[in-house]
Amino acid sequence: MTFTEQMVRSGAQGSRCMDLELTSDQLLFHETTVRFIDAELPMTKVRQLHDDPVGYDRGWLGKAAELGWFAMLVPEEHGGGSVSGAGLLDAVIVAEELGRRMQPGPFLPMNIVAAALAEHASPEQCARVLPGIAGGEVVATWCVSDADGNWDGGAGVIAVATEGGFVLNGSRGYVQDAQSADWLLVVANVGGASAQFLIEASTPGVVVVPLVTLDLSRRLASVSFEDVRVDGSALIGAVGADGALERQLQIALALLCAETVGVLDAMFSITVEYSKDRTAFGRPIGSFQALKHIMADLGLWLETCKAGAVALATAVEQRSAEAAALAHTVAAYVGDVATDIAQECLQIHGGIGYTWEYDLHLLLRRARSNSALYGEPSWHRERLCVAHGL
Amino acid sequence: MSDTITNTSSDLDAYRQQMRDWLAANLPARDPHAGLRAAHEISAEQLAADRALQKKVYEAGYVGITWPTEYGGQGLSGQHQQIWNEESRAYAVPAPGGIASGVTMGIVAPTLLAHANEEQKRSWLPKILRGDELWVQLLSEPGAGSDLAGILTRATQDGESWILQGTKVWSSGAMSADFGVCLARTDWDAPKHRGLTWFKVPLRDPRVTVRPVREINGSAEFCEEFLDDVVVADDMRIGELNEGWAIANSMLGFERGASRDPGAVRPKGGGIRPIAPDLVEIARSRATLTHGHVRQLIAKAHANDVMHELLTARVVSSITKRISNPSAASYIKLGHGILQPLRACAAMEIAGRTGIAWSADVHAHGETAATNYLNGRIMAIAGGSNQIQRNIISERLLGLPREPNFDTNKPFREVLRTARNWGTKGE
Repeated sequence: MTFTEQMVRSGAQGSRCMDLELTSDQLLFHETTVRFIDAELPMTKVRQLHDDPVGYDRGWLGKAAELGWFAMLVPEEHGGGSVSGAGLLDAVIVAEELGRRMQPGPFLPMNIVAAALAEHASPEQCARVLPGIAGGEVVATWCVSDADGNWDGGAGVIAVATEGGFVLNGSRGYVQDAQSADWLLVVANVGGASAQFLIEASTPGVVVVPLVTLDLSRRLASVSFEDVRVDGSALIGAVGADGALERQLQIALALLCAETVGVLDAMFSITVEYSKDRTAFGRPIGSFQALKHIMADLGLWLETCKAGAVALATAVEQRSAEAAALAHTVAAYVGDVATDIAQECLQIHGGIGYTWEYDLHLLLRRARSNSALYGEPSWHRERLCVAHGL
Repeated sequence: MSDTITNTSSDLDAYRQQMRDWLAANLPARDPHAGLRAAHEISAEQLAADRALQKKVYEAGYVGITWPTEYGGQGLSGQHQQIWNEESRAYAVPAPGGIASGVTMGIVAPTLLAHANEEQKRSWLPKILRGDELWVQLLSEPGAGSDLAGILTRATQDGESWILQGTKVWSSGAMSADFGVCLARTDWDAPKHRGLTWFKVPLRDPRVTVRPVREINGSAEFCEEFLDDVVVADDMRIGELNEGWAIANSMLGFERGASRDPGAVRPKGGGIRPIAPDLVEIARSRATLTHGHVRQLIAKAHANDVMHELLTARVVSSITKRISNPSAASYIKLGHGILQPLRACAAMEIAGRTGIAWSADVHAHGETAATNYLNGRIMAIAGGSNQIQRNIISERLLGLPREPNFDTNKPFREVLRTARNWGTKGE
């Protein structure tokens, strides 16, 4: 049975979104998204892209942009807009399906950068880049962590003010889709304070070194900056950008957790269905309490992830006072149980789950990858303590 | 029950104002720090005083607000009840017998309303509402908890009467109660679910012995009852002969509803939930709040608290909107059953040595942690164990097949014999 057939049988195909309160416009948007993915990049084609250095096709990116995938956090005057007007709540609809259907591409970083620019860039800076992002003509990514994968608030890239601009030296690690990005939003340090610079990837001194990734549909790279000279218009917002970084992290986590929910929902649905089909000792293995009790726990954790992911997206969209703490709470929880759910789904499948041809491992890879991409659970827990003043 | 009556807002406002005046004049303010009084600590004098006070509330028309007038209620709408819920929150509303009162009003009375006959309802329900009678459940037995339909208490017909014999246990608040609703086996040759019948049993009968069960935490909320050939008339039978299982299921539904913590869903705009204050206090008392491993434990417990709260709201909403079937409530129960033991263990970990010994004279955080540790498994066992919830979730929500069963279609007598010989040769 193919992956797609399993998705259909398990009900994961076109299944209900994690948000139970979508409007009819949003439901239509979801349906269009699913139809587009199934027509353009079903699992067989996703697999063909695993060895592609870029990981996706730029023509496909343009078509995705026509559906509004990169416009939802972009203001209307720069070519953006979303179905409901609450851009992040529309974006998580797409994110969830990207996870459920294991899509490649720079959806997360493009939207994070779009939000950052929309909130902090000058009108001129916005006009330079946002229409291209919304239209899928340019690819942008966020260079946030240091070379060791740590959140350093920009300490790993030193930007020194010069006449008319800045010179940057240092490195960023684990940057999503840096290999195909046209624009880099770089978290750096100016005189001890954090700052963000929007830099063209083709600027002399910018070196992108691709990494080998656990998630075969994700592209990550190291980016180094050697005497990279930019003019003053590259600085986005003010020096002292901790608040902006925090907000962007919240947006990243809201999108990421929604995507992980999609991944887990697909894995879990397939696993439950498999346990009904597979027989051993004269009965479906899903009738054994040794397995069905595990699946009951997984079902509970998955429902809890959905509740958390929806609450997080809503809090970040509404800029609620609890968004910061909630982001770390939900990311810590989802990050923890995602790996547990993925491992248990593999366990219930047994040997078949350990084969390359069976698609389960692709989901398992993404589930684990997502649990570290914007911070591992224990890091989120420490930040959660700090957010509560401990 | 008369929700169809349209209440004008001025009627409701007048009702509310009248209630406010009455509450202010007649009930003391609620002590926000006082929990429900432990059942075994309630003296006879306290019980009598609480009953008298409930009678006063009843006579003012504030008990059984939505109940039919023919059974002693006020026959008013759910809106009226809601007004009472809101207005009375600040007052010490009497709960005679502590948990016994909750069982009587939240579980037994709705069950009687649904399943007792007309004559029984007219005779019994007004006394319950008035506070004259406290009723508890005689349900579980030493040998039948999760497998409730496997009870062994027998009711044997003797002319117009029934003779009940057996042992019941885990009856909350029975030491304060007057009557019990008792599930008994009336047909041993029928399959287990089809030979059960309900009876009203007087707990003050000399042939009934009620003994508090001392729990591992030293408290005693529950009782064990020995029914030693108790004779009850046939008009004490509730529902049809041998059809008690459906009533039992209906009662368990009321029980789940009554045990749902109304404070679990935090109102919107209620601010940020503080991070595990109990755990922070323990860490602070030991000066370990800066230790990384302690911070991890605190944050994990808090994340679980918040996530379970979000799950609860999601499940309640999806059941209300009929997106999920009512069995989804088992997700809430299982979540409590998994997380509360973990949380209790986290507190003990943070307490370290202070959780295993403390001074008798001063309040110590470690003592609280130790008590919670002993209580940690309550939600994992009571009201349907984690394993029962997992069966419900996997079968009714995920559609997984049942385990083969060996008892539902055989005469119960035979089930008992087969069970004893399980796994031996010849079976």
